[in-house]
Parts: sequence; structure tokens; C-alpha cells
Amino acid sequence: MRYLRIEDNRAYFVNSSGATRPIDEIGKDDLLFLIDRLVEGDFDMDEFVEEHLQNQAHSIIYKNIYERLTELLDNRDRFKDESRELYKEALEKYSKS
Amino acid sequence: MKRIDLHIHTISTGQDSDFEFCLNSLVTYVNDSGIDAIAITNHNVFDIDQFQEIVTSLQSTKVFPGIEVDFAGGHLLVIADDSEVLDFANRAKQITEQWNNQKIPITLQDFRVVFPDLSRLLLIPHYRKRPEVPDHVIGELKPDITAGEVTSPRKFKHCINDQSALVPVIFSDCRMSKGLTMSASRTTYIDAQETTFAAVRMCLADKSKVSLSADRGHDFFDALPNGLKLSNGLNVVIGERSSGKTYTLDLLSENFDSIKYVKQFALLERDPERDAKQFEELLTRGHSLVTQEYLSEFRDVVDDITGVSIEADEKLVQKFLQSVKQYASEVERKDSFSNTRLYDEAPYPEVRLDGLKGLIASTKTLIETTEYRAIIEEFIPFQQLTGLIVRLMNEYAVQKEVALKQIWVNDLVESIQRSLKLHTATPEINHVDLYQIAFNRSKVQKFSRIANDLREETKITEKHLQGFTIVAKIRPYAGAGELKTVSGKKIAFSNAFQSYLEPYSFLKELKTIEGLEPTDYYKFFAKVEYNVLNRYGFEVSGGERSEFRLLQQIADAQNYDMLLIDEPESSFDNGFLRDEVNKLIKDISTSIPVVVVTHNNTVGASIKPNYVIYTKREPLQNDVEYRFYCGTPSDKELVSPDGRTIKNFDVLMNCLEAGETTYTDRGHTYEILKD
Repeated sequence: MRYLRIEDNRAYFVNSSGATRPIDEIGKDDLLFLIDRLVEGDFDMDEFVEEHLQNQAHSIIYKNIYERLTELLDNRDRFKDESRELYKEALEKYSKS
Repeated sequence: MKRIDLHIHTISTGQDSDFEFCLNSLVTYVNDSGIDAIAITNHNVFDIDQFQEIVTSLQSTKVFPGIEVDFAGGHLLVIADDSEVLDFANRAKQITEQWNNQKIPITLQDFRVVFPDLSRLLLIPHYRKRPEVPDHVIGELKPDITAGEVTSPRKFKHCINDQSALVPVIFSDCRMSKGLTMSASRTTYIDAQETTFAAVRMCLADKSKVSLSADRGHDFFDALPNGLKLSNGLNVVIGERSSGKTYTLDLLSENFDSIKYVKQFALLERDPERDAKQFEELLTRGHSLVTQEYLSEFRDVVDDITGVSIEADEKLVQKFLQSVKQYASEVERKDSFSNTRLYDEAPYPEVRLDGLKGLIASTKTLIETTEYRAIIEEFIPFQQLTGLIVRLMNEYAVQKEVALKQIWVNDLVESIQRSLKLHTATPEINHVDLYQIAFNRSKVQKFSRIANDLREETKITEKHLQGFTIVAKIRPYAGAGELKTVSGKKIAFSNAFQSYLEPYSFLKELKTIEGLEPTDYYKFFAKVEYNVLNRYGFEVSGGERSEFRLLQQIADAQNYDMLLIDEPESSFDNGFLRDEVNKLIKDISTSIPVVVVTHNNTVGASIKPNYVIYTKREPLQNDVEYRFYCGTPSDKELVSPDGRTIKNFDVLMNCLEAGETTYTDRGHTYEILKD
């Protein structure tokens, strides 16, 4: 799903209720929601192209969020590997099923 | 046979508890116990004048000069021929000087300088006795060391049976002080006609020439000054009420160092509620290793998660967003400084190579394993594995280089940004490492899952012990009270317990409690509980708890040199005594001497002891006399130390069956019922 979009020179994000909101309304819970979606895999976003975002405030906010999320996306495989190994022994030992 | 005690102290040095030497005590001890040879062995000192005085006072006893040397971390008795006392005194003086100067144990090298000819001495190290001379040092002194001092008949017998062990000797190691009443139970018999130095030395090189008693070899030893000998196996003490049975056990307990003494009624429950609680504490303590081992992985998780704060992470995210938004709103105020690309450049996130490192380690394990090499090669040729590890290591090198470069760039960018910020009013962006934040969220999720899994009621271990089953199970805590008990502190847990079902919130609450050590947090998530079940799988009753405790005590006796049990029948029924207690006592008596006092025929007769001691209270004209008679169960007569005899059959009938008439009547009654 495409969680970050650029349309008509404005940037938008999708919140946890599925609603599309302007990027300048994004809050920390929304960003954490995007992180979770990204980590779980069903995540897509429009590439940041400065020329497509004439609204300067939107452009700055989108650029920063886009860059951070891109870094995370680039490391998603490593994240999955590390997460899989995380507390593995404890999970296996105490899992009753 | 000659009786010897070659370890006696007559000078109080800094290494003894303070005492004043009393020559009379020594003379009384030696004469009353019929000791044929002694050695004077004080710590790192030999006083020739005192030695001569002792020799003069003990005309009919051989007295050897000696010294107990602090040697190679242990203690070593060095004993010389009495005819060479002057030479020995001179050499001992050197030991004293070295000790006084340095206060450190003498080395083997220095020892050899002081005593170049060890073949003229008798060297007896502390062997199965603390502080021990290390085995490798003893090895270096062979063949000059042949005998070693041990502390108990049990260890003595063990050394006799162990071909590689030294010849064992037991000595009193006593301080001859005023008013001392000594038993000669810690002496050794040697099979010698005379007590010359050469004869003693020869005997202490031959296991067949040492024993614990004058007439019964290694199966018996002198236990008390009143002449009581005991079997190294199972001894049963019988006798009427107030005939001195418990008194005998008390004396034994005082006379030997490492005794397990199960007193009469000690295991009987008096206050059921308190006893049940104590019982549970005992079980929990006794099995704390099981608890620790079971919770070890969880403890590591809690230790790790204690350093994670989702709230702090959220604040970082919020700060990042606020700064981005503020930056965006004030963008028109950008100047030539803040307009530079580097001004709002985010640092590279930390490069994590743990996964790659783990992969390299795993591949290394595959390559280095020899046990399962064949199986691995069935699937992966060895050459491919070496190729893989080289490839992975190259990748690691590349990534590590990138990481180092990024750190360098980050430092530089940060430094430039600091300078730019000094010249501009444009707000800065507080960057955030989303990877770490996502990873912490993953940690918390997994921790919650593990904590919830952990406290689900489950059986962890099950151990069977003489008809009982000890079950360790894990369950959720039932309330704040249980948490308080586990903490062992006066801390209120009621607030924290409200969030007990939410592991991460609960951990946060624990963190706010003052006086709680972070290393203990893991203990509060699930309770490990121990239950003892009887043979039918039900929780034990009060009586069964006593039975279990007795079996535990008997099993624990393995760690001691002797086990004393006073009237086990006072707490238990015959079925339990016959089926469990007798068997266990019999088993343990094969490794340590056991003395059981009893009135009960199930214990006294069915257990088939090695030795029977019958105590008797005999009224005199104005006084009473306590006597005892001993023998093996098959002896027709039991014999007292002064040679009096009594019929074994009569003793057994009177003490265990309430007399022959009662025994016969009971037999008739059972016959009638049976028919």
C-alpha cells in the first residue's frame, strides 16, 4: 500500500484509520504507524521529487520523512534478520505451543 | 598391635586458638588411652626443652620429635627418629626462622634445602583433611611420603580400598590444654611389635599394617573413650528407656567433627501451617538452581529490555517531527549558512554488522566441527564452506570499511553543522534513527510475548525420590503479596501488580519501585513453585512431609562422615520405615558409619545391622551405672568392654518385642486371625 503520496504539489500520508491526511498534520503516532507498516512489508511511498512539490513546507517535511524511511527500507532485510534472531532462545524455551 | 597418635600440639602458636599447655593432660590422655607412641607436632616450631620434659614424663611411651610445617598450601607433619632429636631441632629452627620472617608456606625447593635427606624422616601430609597438601606435590615427594592424614573412619576406609591412595592415618590433632578430657577415638593402630621409628615408618608404608581398631581391622573403629567401638557400616543401639541411648549419640556428636545428627521428633510437625510454609521455603531453597537455570534466558531478555524506553523513543520521534515542521514553517528565513546542503544533512545511521558476524561464526562452526563432519559434507562440500566463509569475511571487511567511513563523515558533518548554526537563526532538524526505534518496538513486542508465554502454568521438572515426586511448576503470581515475598523486602507491590498482565507496563512499574534491584526484575513475572506429591500423585500430608524430610536428611548425610538417627519410629509408621527408611539407611551405611537408636523391631531387627549396641541402666546400691554390650546380630552373646556378657536373644526380645511372652502371644494372635 502507498502510505506517502504526492499529488497536485502537495504531500499526503495515510494514518492508522486508513484516512489520507496532508503531510503537515503528521504526528508521532502516525510516524510510528508508518514504521510498523514498513517493517511488516506492505509499504510503498512516492519518490521525493522536489519539482513535484511546490508547497515548500510540504516539500521539507516530506523530504525528511522520506529520507529516514528510505534508510529503514534499505535495511529492512537486515532488520528482519536481526529481529528474527532477537530473543530466539527465550521464545523457543518458554513457548508452550 | 600398637596404638599411635602422631599429631599432638603442645605450644600455642598464632595458628591455634589460644591455649596453655598442660603436661598432666597429655600424660593422662596417653596413659588412659593406652597409646604406645606419640609425636609432638607444633605449627612451624619445635621446642627441644619441652620435648625432653615430655619424654621424661612418659617413660613407657615412645615420643617422637616433630613439626607441622605450612607447606605448599597445606600442612605437613615432619617427624624424626628420637635418636636424632638434636639434628632435627637445628633443622626445625630454620623452618621457624623462615616462617617468622615471611609468614608464607615453605616451598618444596626450600624444604629440600632444610631437610636434604627425606629418607630419614616420616612425612605425613594433610591428605583428606584441610588444608590439604596438593596431590601433585605429594607425587613429587614419593617415595618419601607414604601415609596421609585423614579426618574420619569413612575416609580411612575409602583410602584403604582405593589402590592409588596413600596409607591413611587418623590422629587427634589436639591441643593439650588444662582440663582437657580427650577420647582416643582419633588414633591409628599399627601392626608392629615395637614402636621404634623404623617400625612405625615401615607400617605407615603398608595398608595392611594400619587399622582403626586393635582387633577388628577396618570394619570397626574406636568411637568413644568409654571403650565403645562402632562398625564402619550400620550400628543399631537398643535398650530400655533412660538407659543412655540418646546420651551415646550426643557423645558421638561431640566427639566427631562432621556428623549428621537427626534427633528424635526433629521431623515431626507441630504447627501444620508454619511447618508447611517452612517446608516450601526449604524446597525452594534446595532447588534454587533449577529456578535460576529455567529463568536464565528470560533474565537476559529482561536485562536487555530494561534499557529500552518506548516513551523516550516516542519523544525522539516527536522532536524530529516538530523540528521538521518548524524548519518548514521558517524556511523563508533561510540564509546563506542554512541554505547550504550540509546544514540539514542527516547523519548516516549506525551500521549493524551483528547478523553478518553471527553468520561468519556459524559457518566457522560448520567448518571446525569434526564430530558431524561426514553429515555436513553429505550436503555441503567442505570446499564450498571455506569459499563461503571467505566470501562472508570479505563482505564484512567491505561493510566495516563503509561503516568506518560513515562514522568519519558523520563527525565531519556534525562539526560543520555546529559552525553553521552559530551564524544562523534557522531552526535545526533533530534527526532520528528510525531503525533503532523500530528495533526497540520489536524488542518490546517479543518481550511481552515471552513474558506471557513464561507465566502460563506449566510443569518444568519432575524428580522422583523414594516414592515421592518433587514437581517444579511455573505459574502466574496470584497477587501483590507473593511479589513482596519474593522480593524479601518490605516493599508494596499493589500498584505494580495492577499492570501485571501487561508485561512492558509492569516492568515500567517495577522500575519506579525504590529499593528493587534491576537484576531482580525478572523474578517478578512468573512464580516457580515446588510441590511434593506422594506415590498416588496427591500433595503430601503433614506426616508425609516429615517422611520426605527424613529421606532428604538421610540423603544429605552423604556429605558428612557419620550419620546418627535417634528413634525414627517416633515420627513414622512401620510401612514407611520398612519400605523406604530401612533401605536408604542400609544403602548409606555402605559409604559412611550410621548409628540408629531404636525401640522398634521394624528398624532394629529387620534392618539387619552390622553391629548391635545394647545400653543398660544397672542400679547399684546408692547409684546407677550405665553399661553397654556389643556384638554382631548373629553373636549368641553381646559383650561389654570389661568382658561381661548378656544373651543377644533376650536383649532383642526385651527391647524390640516387649518380651518373649508378648512376642509369642502376638504370634498366636496373628496365627488365629490368619486362619
